[in-house]
Amino acid sequence: MILSERVKKLREQSLNAKETMSAERALLMTQFYKSDEARELSAPVRRAKAFEYLLKNKKICINDGELIVGERGPAPKATPTYPEISLHSMNDLEVLNSREKVSFKVDEEVKAIYAKEVIPYWTGKSNRDRLMSNMTSEWILAYDAGIFTEFQEQRAPGHTVLGYKMFRTGFHDLKKEIRKAIDRLDYFTDPQAFERQEELKAMDIACNAIIMYANRHACELEKLAARELNDKRKKELLKMAMVCRKVPAHAPETVHEMLQHYWFIHLGVITELNPWDSFNPGRLDQHLYPVYMKETEAGTLDEEKLWDLLGCFWVKFNNHPSPPKMGVTANESSTYTDFCLINLGGVKADGTDAVNEMSYILLDVIREMRLLQPGSMVQISKKNPDSYIHRALDIIKTGFGQPSCFNTEAIISELLRQGKNITDARNGGTSGCVETGAFGTEAYWLTGYFNLPKILELTLYNGFDKRTGRQVGPETGYAADHKSFDELMTAFQLQVRYFADIKIRGNNVIEKLFATWLPVPFLSLLVEDCIYNGKDYNSGGARYNTSYIQGVGLGSITDMLTSIRYNIYEQKKFTWQQLINALESDFAGYENIQHDLIYETPKYGNDDDYADQQAVAVFEIYYDSVNGRPNTRGGVHRINMLPTTSHVYFGSVTGATPDGRNSRLPLSEGISPFQGADHRGPTSVIKSASKIDHLRTGGTLLNQKFSPSFFEDEDSYSNLTALIRSYFSLDGHHIQFNVVNADTLRDAQKHPERYRDLIVRVAGYSDYFNDLGEDLQNEIIQRTEHEEA
Amino acid sequence: MEGLIFSVKRYSVHDGPGIRVTFFMKGCPLSCRWCHNPEGISSLPEKTSRTNRVGGKSFIKEEEVGKYYTVDDILEICEKERLFTDRSGGGVTFSGGEPVMQPEFLLAALKALKKKGFNTAVDTSGYSPEKNFREILPYTDLFLFDLKHLSDDRHIELTGVSNRLILENFRLLAREAEAVMIRIPVIPGMNDDEGHLMKLRDYITSVNTGNIKKINLLPYHKIGSSKYRRFNMEWKMEGVEPPAGEKMKQMKEYFSQTGIKVKIGG
Repeated sequence: MILSERVKKLREQSLNAKETMSAERALLMTQFYKSDEARELSAPVRRAKAFEYLLKNKKICINDGELIVGERGPAPKATPTYPEISLHSMNDLEVLNSREKVSFKVDEEVKAIYAKEVIPYWTGKSNRDRLMSNMTSEWILAYDAGIFTEFQEQRAPGHTVLGYKMFRTGFHDLKKEIRKAIDRLDYFTDPQAFERQEELKAMDIACNAIIMYANRHACELEKLAARELNDKRKKELLKMAMVCRKVPAHAPETVHEMLQHYWFIHLGVITELNPWDSFNPGRLDQHLYPVYMKETEAGTLDEEKLWDLLGCFWVKFNNHPSPPKMGVTANESSTYTDFCLINLGGVKADGTDAVNEMSYILLDVIREMRLLQPGSMVQISKKNPDSYIHRALDIIKTGFGQPSCFNTEAIISELLRQGKNITDARNGGTSGCVETGAFGTEAYWLTGYFNLPKILELTLYNGFDKRTGRQVGPETGYAADHKSFDELMTAFQLQVRYFADIKIRGNNVIEKLFATWLPVPFLSLLVEDCIYNGKDYNSGGARYNTSYIQGVGLGSITDMLTSIRYNIYEQKKFTWQQLINALESDFAGYENIQHDLIYETPKYGNDDDYADQQAVAVFEIYYDSVNGRPNTRGGVHRINMLPTTSHVYFGSVTGATPDGRNSRLPLSEGISPFQGADHRGPTSVIKSASKIDHLRTGGTLLNQKFSPSFFEDEDSYSNLTALIRSYFSLDGHHIQFNVVNADTLRDAQKHPERYRDLIVRVAGYSDYFNDLGEDLQNEIIQRTEHEEA
Repeated sequence: MEGLIFSVKRYSVHDGPGIRVTFFMKGCPLSCRWCHNPEGISSLPEKTSRTNRVGGKSFIKEEEVGKYYTVDDILEICEKERLFTDRSGGGVTFSGGEPVMQPEFLLAALKALKKKGFNTAVDTSGYSPEKNFREILPYTDLFLFDLKHLSDDRHIELTGVSNRLILENFRLLAREAEAVMIRIPVIPGMNDDEGHLMKLRDYITSVNTGNIKKINLLPYHKIGSSKYRRFNMEWKMEGVEPPAGEKMKQMKEYFSQTGIKVKIGG
């Protein structure tokens, strides 16, 4: 099937639209917060009323030719800001407007609104101000040193995915549930009955608001229909108006209704606040399949119409870049992508093979649309057929980094280990980059990246940070004080534990800030059992509540420790003093030492136990420091191993390292070996990467770059399938393939204009090559070359 | 007992079915003009140098090409890859150089691998006494057999040796081996003329007893040329360009007339 003219046009418009910053939301939010009414309300009701005010007053945007309607801003890629979360300064607006990468056009009108209305009101009142003033001085020191990042600094807690229930439920049904929950409130014995009442009231307001918002679209569509001269489009517009009158008020019954239903929900979530990983339809093939079958049998849906609807739906995601970030947060996630990850395949709730006709249709849509957003992944269960994997490889081979491959059995085991029931586990999947979650039932918050290599750097200097010139960690001795490798590891463990404590303490305060000031009654409607509990998503209302800290740089830290063990303590090739001198000079004049560190030292990624033992040791130290420690929402902290682009930021704050890496260069990403450190091919990488226990994480990321030659025929597909299944039989969580050659990338660097649509896999997600910083571009080129050699 | 090996390749997907481990054994009685593994010709370890660049400085490191491996070393490497070889229907391939030039080691390695249940393949020029082939036959699941030229004179000219022994061994394997895959390097101006191809096709048809599973047409490539510089050897292929894709497709059709599956590439 090829794309219709309609979809081609919308796709092209979306690709060509320039990201702009819109002041609409900021202004409306300011007006609401300034009103007398806002001051008199409880927090959840105030947020629900704010949500209602936004949806009542924001501009309705309907684009020519589209079938699925609704934009977060007044136009495609017009991106709102969230001053109640973080307030952009006039200087930030200048930077956003002029920076080379991931820029947003900011026009004079927006600047004027910011100067006159937004900044004067919100200064000192944003959650970012509140957050920073509540952190301890130890936290600030560690944050400034680049030990960890803070996810909630400029965005709201996110990481949740729509589950089965909401694809079969309308908001009128939810209103009934709310009514029942209110009736159930026990004011005699439940001291929180009043809080629950306020939360439920807020939820009810949010239901009304989203229904009203859909009806505003219906009115607008009817107006357009009345003016439309083309008969065919007129009919379409009237049909669309009918759909908007039905969903999301009532449960969807057709493919068209289901897609529009989801899209209103999506818009609701990303208008209410700016949660990390926007929002996600999750197991889309499973949700669509029953209505698709019903419609196909009834003859109400032909292939052309289906493709038009899906194409229009895909464009919607691409119209919505992630909100404009600044500072460290822009570095840790330097991208327009807002991390929607559509899941295909896997198993059904009863444990049987879930691959269906819709899985294949959506794979075709992914191939033909070839857009950055939404991202896509294939869940691969041992029960899924090889032909399904081959079809995915067919798309992977074209080199835009989608779909990525996930291990269904690992996802289920991870969720079961965390105490989810079997049905919730099977209905789960991954979102964002690689993060495991129970869809529709879990609030799994990512809280920040954790710079393991930097902590080893501090350990060598008695907890002192050379870059900021401050004592950041505890005094655990200088490098040369440690008489054995084990002693050094003990010091490293103390440092990791110390910073994990700081981070977790910070998290537990930040969670309370959101619970107290920024409840999300709309999002709470979507995640079970918030209504039943009368509790907000941000206060532990969900069935499962998890907090993650993401470990970064496993390949680098492993090679650093291995190098120390090998060169200092065992082979005694250099003394500590020699190595420290070399590191402090960034190897200038010590190239012979750097040479040996790079070329004559065992490295992670080659199925060499000598090196891989350190990966396991670091994993266990990190796991013990974080896993199982309570959060404030009735859940616990857990770990996962993924970097997004933070390995570049973390590298930029880390000096030269004992693995021979020069100061400021990127660290390794995910659980992949350091760039160029693996030289025995993909089977050895897989063996090394599976020595850590993936099942005790909430996701790991393994990136493998392949030249297109690995995808030339059926035999090579079978071999790649065997490779993936082998990794998954070792409990590997995720593997992704980047198919591209270095010359292409170099040319793209020289002539970005010719490669507007070149998408590469970065680390757990894909991005336009042109939007990556030069250092990240170079890193990807280097890795590619290494693979080709 | 030890074997001299100059390279071990994991995720080897062009030397027989599935994912394989390929051991490149050092030493070859032939000296084909187009050889892309010239470091495999001499049967002694060789010294070469590698330049590593670090921080703008160059480090020239002596490197020995060719290391001695015991059968246990071979088994240890293969066991680490077993997950992949088993799942993909792959196994272990001995290539080279000419693996049958180290017959005792090869036999011992094949026996040990078979005992452990690995699928085995031997990639050979066919130039070795018949006795050696008879000995390894029971422990070899697949032979990858090179056919380069049918004219003895031309064969001597291009490879330095007569093809008589090679063709005798080929007939032996076509009769008695479990499975054979023929590999024909396609070298423009050397063995790709119509007349020769016709003869080669007819020859294969006449010898086949049904165990020839595949013909791989391996188009000449220049990847080896840089190695000649590194090993200070004379590059005799100046001016020869890889065969055109169209030409390869024609040849594929041509050899398909044997009734055997034909594939371009390994």
